[in-house]
Amino acid sequence: MAFLYPAFLIGAVAIALPIVLHLLRRDIAPEVPFTAVRLLRRSPVERVHKRRLKDLLLLAARVIALLLLAAAFARPYVRGAAPAPVRVVALDRSYSMGGPQRFDRARALARAAIEDASSSERVAFVAFDDRADVLAMPGGKGEARAALDGTTLGFGATRYSAVFDKVLEMANGATGRLILVTDLQPSGWNKEGAPVLPLGWEMEVRDAGSVGENLTIEAVTVDAAAVAATIRNSGRTPRSGRIQVTLDERGPEAAGADFTVAPGQASVARINWRAPSTGALTVSVDDPVGLAADNSRYVVLGARQTPKALVVGAGEQSGLYLSRALETSRTEDVDVVTSARLASMTPEEVSNYSTIALLTTRALERKSRETIAAQVRAGSGLFIAAGSDLDISVVASMADWQPALSAVEHGQGPPVTLAATDVRHPIFRPFNALAVNLGQVRFERSWRVAPEGWSVIARFSNGSPALLERTLGRGRVVLFASDVDRQWNDFPLHPGFVPFAIETARYLSASGDRRQVRDYTVAQAPPGIGPAPGVFRTADNRTVAVNVDPAEGALDRMSAEAFAGKIQRNDAAGTVQQAQARDTESRQSYWQYGLALMLLALVAESFVGRA
Amino acid sequence: MPQPGARDLRDIRFLDPAVIAKLGTMELKARTVVEGFLSGLHRSPYKGFSVEFAEYRQYLPGDDLSTLDWKVFARSDRHYVKKYEEETNLECHLLVDISASMAYRGAAAMSKMEYGSVLAGSLAFLMNRQRDASGLIAFDEKIAFRLPASARRGHLHTLLVALERLTAARRSDLGRPLHQLAEALVRRSLVVLISDLLDEPEPIIAGLKHLKFKGNDVIVFQVLDPNELTFPFEASARFTDVESADAITADPRSIREAYLGELGNLKQHYDRELRGVGVDYVQLDTSKPLDFALLAYLAARSRRK
Repeated sequence: MAFLYPAFLIGAVAIALPIVLHLLRRDIAPEVPFTAVRLLRRSPVERVHKRRLKDLLLLAARVIALLLLAAAFARPYVRGAAPAPVRVVALDRSYSMGGPQRFDRARALARAAIEDASSSERVAFVAFDDRADVLAMPGGKGEARAALDGTTLGFGATRYSAVFDKVLEMANGATGRLILVTDLQPSGWNKEGAPVLPLGWEMEVRDAGSVGENLTIEAVTVDAAAVAATIRNSGRTPRSGRIQVTLDERGPEAAGADFTVAPGQASVARINWRAPSTGALTVSVDDPVGLAADNSRYVVLGARQTPKALVVGAGEQSGLYLSRALETSRTEDVDVVTSARLASMTPEEVSNYSTIALLTTRALERKSRETIAAQVRAGSGLFIAAGSDLDISVVASMADWQPALSAVEHGQGPPVTLAATDVRHPIFRPFNALAVNLGQVRFERSWRVAPEGWSVIARFSNGSPALLERTLGRGRVVLFASDVDRQWNDFPLHPGFVPFAIETARYLSASGDRRQVRDYTVAQAPPGIGPAPGVFRTADNRTVAVNVDPAEGALDRMSAEAFAGKIQRNDAAGTVQQAQARDTESRQSYWQYGLALMLLALVAESFVGRA
Repeated sequence: MPQPGARDLRDIRFLDPAVIAKLGTMELKARTVVEGFLSGLHRSPYKGFSVEFAEYRQYLPGDDLSTLDWKVFARSDRHYVKKYEEETNLECHLLVDISASMAYRGAAAMSKMEYGSVLAGSLAFLMNRQRDASGLIAFDEKIAFRLPASARRGHLHTLLVALERLTAARRSDLGRPLHQLAEALVRRSLVVLISDLLDEPEPIIAGLKHLKFKGNDVIVFQVLDPNELTFPFEASARFTDVESADAITADPRSIREAYLGELGNLKQHYDRELRGVGVDYVQLDTSKPLDFALLAYLAARSRRK
């Protein structure tokens, strides 16, 4: 028998306290000399005995009722028998485990881990890279062995936390041991917080070793006159060789160049060759001693390499902070234009921009408004920032929003601050705990926007919406209820402004026209493609390039002790057990019986009391 | 019999146990009680009880004018005064219970023992003034002290001193001493029993009946403390018997009614059994004045005459 909320049982003890005191007090009744004890002892004594018995029954009924009440609140449930311990053998199948005979050695380590399991242990087998797959659920060794035999080297990058998530799922209240067979790459922790190992679990890392040398093609850019490839040498010796370009993966060399890369350095190899405007090409190096998966990189020609942002400002200074912030990302080309310049642009020119930031409606012609709206409906993102140059009625007229967009300018009272309402939103997610720092920004003026029809992402400290979003066609619109030109606030001077601007632009540029995206990693590949690098055609007839994550090609390693130090051993894993306990308790619902028995005890108490 | 309620409060205050308890010797206490009691009566009970006409004598200056016989003066034109001869024809035995329970003092100013001693002393004082012989027997489970009845000068002082020296210590067993006394008394007497009568009633009643059967007049004063009469306790307590190791833990509020019922039954039992054989039974409250007891004695005395 266990309790879901055992703290309520303390309440029962507290309730019993006055009863105990009462009983103690009875025991220490003062002694009083008297003469007619004989008369007291006649019939009154019998009545006292009777009353004492009655009192005991009443006391028992009340105590039982209270205990049942406390027990019902504590939500009792009956646990099943303690499950047998689990041995989880996790094999790293990321492409960094490649190299001559290395994966075979890793499999041998995993096999030994399986064979080491005692007869009382259930053995599970997990293969992981970017994701973890439970190939054999906790059970016999045979299933784990068979799953291991069927495991092949993959093309993904290492992500350790995926394994720990699976362990939490499989632990299910049991104790166990996690045996990780991996090459201990620190890059597997890059994007992860500290994972949690359930209480009662041990972890053991079996080092599969590393290759000594490796060349990785980290990036390829294609311009009108040449193809440039960034080659990283992760080894300890200088490497040189030839980089070649093929139009078909297995086709003849179309162009090539020699390269030399110092140990631990990256070098750009430029191939003076005019690439075709369409199709795809493969850039590869020959690296027989290193990892094979990162020796080639695939590029879809004609694909837009970087998204572009168009900032529509009122003058020279308007949009300065925003454009500078976006330029720091290096993934965003930014153009700042005035309303007059926008009016002269053709819809085709505007369509080159994945994000449009509208900071002014001054002199914004109707044609320009319609162009922007059409572009957003086609999949671009629109960022609207309030300000003295922005007329809300003009913005409202850009689209047939229901209800119509309305806002009033608010500048009275003390300054307000910003607080993210949804920290999991893609704009705020990269901030993590630092999102609270946005609360240091002081907003003197803002719009009070009627949020009907919009999703509120952040609010000012006075409760009015600060950041809102909605969709328009295939695109997204994000409305910021204050300005980004430092007229109404000091936000542009705040460290949070740059990541805010970049993440907002990234969110908006990824909103609609995904057909523009043609370069994926293996882990991010669209459904139905991969999981292997190459050039593929998607279900919606797009040609996309899928490459391995170049970070996995680094040969950095960490010690097993440092690896173990990354693990949290608190009982956060208890949440899984608690969820199971809640589920068990919900199915059993013994608290209902407890309350029914309590009512019975109270009825009995009333009967005894009346007797 | 005059009722106490008809008396002046000024007189009653001399009978108040709280006042009497503060007085010094037993003699003073007894005198105060009796004098206070007699001053409240309109007619002295002393006259007409124990005096007899003896002879006439020539009036001499200084004689009490109230003793002049005016009828003789009318017939003979001479002044004669009446001479009376006092005679003692009553022998009274004061039986005082000195068991441990008599030492109990609850809320009253005097313990039952003190109250009973003052009562006995007062009765002895009163009897002495009436030239009646009085004796004292103190007893618990046996007769502990005995002073034969006498009307001699100085006997009262002896009796009062003996009363003053009485101490309560042992268990009581009234039946046996009463039977012993009934056998010992050779002359019809007035027997006054002063006790709390909290023992088993049947042996006591049997002893009293024995005394009555022997031709004695018997008055029983049951002296009880207010705590015994009202059981005023509130908090739960362990009630321990003062004469034995018997004890009971009880909630007084829950057993008060039953206890008082038992006490009432006991009183009714004594009353029924004793009055049936001509024994006077008076229950006394140690917080109340002593005149009830004295009046009861006088009533018995008058019946005897």
